[in-house]
Amino acid sequence: MRPPIVATVARRKLTSLRRDRRTMAFVLLLPMLQIVLFGIAIGGDPTDLPFAVVNHDAGDELLGEPVNLGVAVTAELRASETVTVREYATVAEAVAAVEAGEAWGVLYLPQNLTTALLTLARENATAGELAAAQAVKVELRLDNSNQQIALALSRTVQQAFADVSGTQTPLDTTQPIYGENDPAFIDFLAPGIITLVCFVFSMLLTTMSFVNERYDGTLDRVFAAGVRPAEVVLGHLLAMSTLLVGQVVVLLAVAFWGFAIPLEGSLVLVFALGLLMGLGAMALGLLISSRARSEFQAMQIALPVFFPVLLISGVLWPVQAIPGWLQWVSWLLPTTWAAEAFRSIMIRGWSVAEVWPAFAVNAAWTALFLTLAVRSLRTRE
Amino acid sequence: MDTAVAIQSLVRGYGALKVIDRLDMRVPTGSIYGLLGPSGCGKTTLLRVMLGRLAPWAGSVDVLGANPGARGAPVPGSAVGYAPQELALYNDLSIHETLLFHARLHGLGDETFAERLAWLIEFLDLPEAGSVVGRLSGGQKRRVSLAVALLHQPRLLLLDEPTVGVDPELRTRIWSHLTEVADGGSTVIITTHYIEEARRAHRVGLMRHGVLLAEDDPQTLMAERGDATLEETFLALCRREVAA
Repeated sequence: MRPPIVATVARRKLTSLRRDRRTMAFVLLLPMLQIVLFGIAIGGDPTDLPFAVVNHDAGDELLGEPVNLGVAVTAELRASETVTVREYATVAEAVAAVEAGEAWGVLYLPQNLTTALLTLARENATAGELAAAQAVKVELRLDNSNQQIALALSRTVQQAFADVSGTQTPLDTTQPIYGENDPAFIDFLAPGIITLVCFVFSMLLTTMSFVNERYDGTLDRVFAAGVRPAEVVLGHLLAMSTLLVGQVVVLLAVAFWGFAIPLEGSLVLVFALGLLMGLGAMALGLLISSRARSEFQAMQIALPVFFPVLLISGVLWPVQAIPGWLQWVSWLLPTTWAAEAFRSIMIRGWSVAEVWPAFAVNAAWTALFLTLAVRSLRTRE
Repeated sequence: MDTAVAIQSLVRGYGALKVIDRLDMRVPTGSIYGLLGPSGCGKTTLLRVMLGRLAPWAGSVDVLGANPGARGAPVPGSAVGYAPQELALYNDLSIHETLLFHARLHGLGDETFAERLAWLIEFLDLPEAGSVVGRLSGGQKRRVSLAVALLHQPRLLLLDEPTVGVDPELRTRIWSHLTEVADGGSTVIITTHYIEEARRAHRVGLMRHGVLLAEDDPQTLMAERGDATLEETFLALCRREVAA
């Protein structure tokens, strides 16, 4: 290994990359676009869901004041951003509206709702009165074809009842140990998306830009000049890691400033992990393109890498939800460790003392990919 | 060392296909060797074997006194200058950057590089050094590719079709330069489609289907059959091979 030769290879590659506008855009703009789209489209709360309310509650009196729970709940729902209330006279009409796709659910508030609730709260109610009151049920019938929407509706209705009745449970969840009081899904998602976008784009960049050099003869020429495979691989990695720095900066800037993702821990640590993981991905790209017999074949190998990273690295959904027989595969992937560590640094505020395994796993993979790339890039075939 | 390249019973191919089949070849040091033959006859594969890029399946290959690609062998390395058929240039780089990159790979000093750059641009009639390679014409690119091979004044030049798309006047100049290079003790192996230009080589090998049909001084080859052109000689040898 001769450092001046590595530097020469790196400098040449850097000049080429700088002139190649399309590649620059691919590396810097596309990841930004990806993370912006993710941030806007994924993880937000649904709004303005048409929702049918059938309020038959006749109301009652409490301490001489008229009260009507049905009316109060309906008003509370009207104030909510999640639903757009449409009132119907009968349950049959409301159900027909849901069946026709005009509403996502029906809330039926029965005639003696207020009376029943007041009875349940009264100390002197007879056994017969209590039994009758308990028989009064509010019905919530939902279109469960979309789980997230059903969950949002269910949550909204429960919240409306809780707000109106002022019921307090002894369960206090307002003091989390880590994270915010009302954690947003995007806070979970962003570390994963940074992992996904950084890994995939770094890998694709090296795959595409190196496979060409193998087939346009320029690599042959470099080998003819006596350059060793390790010098070629390191030179390329060095040049492309400068683009990686730009890419990670852009990704983090969008995440932290664009989407106000919390950052409890060290920005330097997040940045360092992003770089290390990106280097591993670039090394993987070099490995793929040193094996592939054509550009097309390289893409065929590189693209499927996207899916395990997306699906079993805990990017979109907790790894803990993956069955045990597959979960151990997740914990072999560098991206699982990276996503988990990003979350811990950003939300828990953890430091190197806690997240070092993520660095170790990523460093090990990077070393392995590089070794394999150098070995498969033989000067002699 | 009076033999720059000595090859005996070389066999090499790709997959199940033998591209070179028991080929013998000898290139004297300080000579120009013209390797002639139709495309697909195995010329490029042969050059890649000489460069140590492809390992022989069978036979022995000796280039500048060693098995190319072996530990400590001069080839691949700065002893060889290689201009591949497919140009193999970085399209985003300027002529200056291209040559500077190769100068650094070969450890050329700044002064030597400046001299060589100026001379090559003048000699090969290249556009100014700042021109981006990707925007040059095909013929200009081929001359840049040749400049890369000549840059570090190697002991062995392997030139794969360096004169395609180059005008006749410049082609003549290139051959004159190669003659000078050979007179200086370096060895040149050149493949070409223009059979007649190979008359200026000291030795030619007529290659077909992975073997050399004949290998000798072009004048001798033509005289043996009383041909007026090398083309006729090649044609006759091909017919004889088909008949056999």
